[in-house]
Amino acid sequence: MKVENLLFITTLLELVAAILATVHFKKYENSTERYFLYFLWYTFFVEIGGAVIAYVFEVKNFWLYNAFTITSFLFYFYWYSTILEKKIFKRAVLIFTLLFLCVSSISLFYQSWLEYHTYTLIAGAVFVLILTLFHFYQLLNSNEVLIVKYKLSFWISTALLLFYMGIIPLFTLLEYINIQGLSYILILVGLNMILYGCYIIGFIWTKKKYNRF
Amino acid sequence: MDEKEVQSFLVIFSIIAFCLALTVILLFALFQKRKNKLILEQQEAESRFKEEIIETQIEIKEDTLRNVSWELHDNIGQLLTLAKIQLQNAKGNPEVIEEAITTIGTSLNELRNLSKLINPSALSNLTLVEALQQEVERFNRLKYLNASIDYTDASFSIDNKKEIIIFRMLQEFFTNTVKHSKASKLIVDVAYNNKVLYINAQDDGVGFDTEKVSSKKGIGLTNIISRAKLIGADVKITSRPGEGTQLSLAYKID
Repeated sequence: MKVENLLFITTLLELVAAILATVHFKKYENSTERYFLYFLWYTFFVEIGGAVIAYVFEVKNFWLYNAFTITSFLFYFYWYSTILEKKIFKRAVLIFTLLFLCVSSISLFYQSWLEYHTYTLIAGAVFVLILTLFHFYQLLNSNEVLIVKYKLSFWISTALLLFYMGIIPLFTLLEYINIQGLSYILILVGLNMILYGCYIIGFIWTKKKYNRF
Repeated sequence: MDEKEVQSFLVIFSIIAFCLALTVILLFALFQKRKNKLILEQQEAESRFKEEIIETQIEIKEDTLRNVSWELHDNIGQLLTLAKIQLQNAKGNPEVIEEAITTIGTSLNELRNLSKLINPSALSNLTLVEALQQEVERFNRLKYLNASIDYTDASFSIDNKKEIIIFRMLQEFFTNTVKHSKASKLIVDVAYNNKVLYINAQDDGVGFDTEKVSSKKGIGLTNIISRAKLIGADVKITSRPGEGTQLSLAYKID
């Protein structure tokens, strides 16, 4: 078995998460978390598309993942702008979005499309990390802290926090320590397991009455 | 993997694992602490609410007893005294007996009204508006002042315990009006409107300076405000010397 095949675990997890999101859609259809249903399916199809490009056409698929990275971060920013209530947080989301667009367009213009845009990813990851902390701050200072494990948004923020907490050191260290193949893939798959594991727990545990907006 | 790669893998893996573990532990601890604090606060608030309910009920009962005592003395007592005087003058003057009989009849009626009023089962079944109406009628009957009440036909039900507290707040305001304000007029306005209960009470008494309320005199006022806070109602007491006092209350049901 080739090590690359381990990456299909990620695709499988995405599929499971997307299916569970569809099954439990009724529970969160009235909150802005409903966009995650479309987002998870989008992720899954991008992953399939990437695999098809890489294995069937045997060309590099980094441009697809670059595009996916940019759209997914923009999606996260948009979602946080809908759930964060404080004005200062909303303004932070706007500033982060603008900064992120700067970084990503610099990468788009000055970096080859045949490689992965690490700076875009790291910038987006740092901003999302801060936004998850804002969200936790908001949860901690409300009565919702009592029922937090039934809130889908809590699980989404936890998933994003843990995933990007791991991604940031992984990709920054990647520049300095030359690791390839198996170890990189192992860590990435592990982080994806945490990410989609949190999503899956969230979809299963969430209760309708706590997801209103 | 060669040895060097294993090493670098272990370094990165342990750094990331450490970061994640730390985050999870921190998050868990933070949420748990906050949760416990909130639960404790809720329990305290609940027991405070219960205590306050009991205290309010006792105060209402005490007030009722005081009112009964006044009514017996000022109203029925006076009538019976009148009847006694009439009968004393009746010797050799039979027409006065008729008058005495009417007086005694009136006092019997008053007595019946009073007994109906203070019957606990009748009291607990009253709606807020009915209870306020009784208060207003009592003021008029005893000629303390000229009171009137106006209310909307539409209404919604409010938790009985909260109703008791709202009633007590108004009763306290009325007591202040009767005791201190030297008012001759009291107007009460109750409106149930779109999940919000508005009550407005106004007298035309001497009023006071809201800025300069002495702590002793202000006990009634602070009571009203702290009770409003307890049930989450908005209450405002406005007054100026010589211009009467006004209480406006807004209570929104969930």
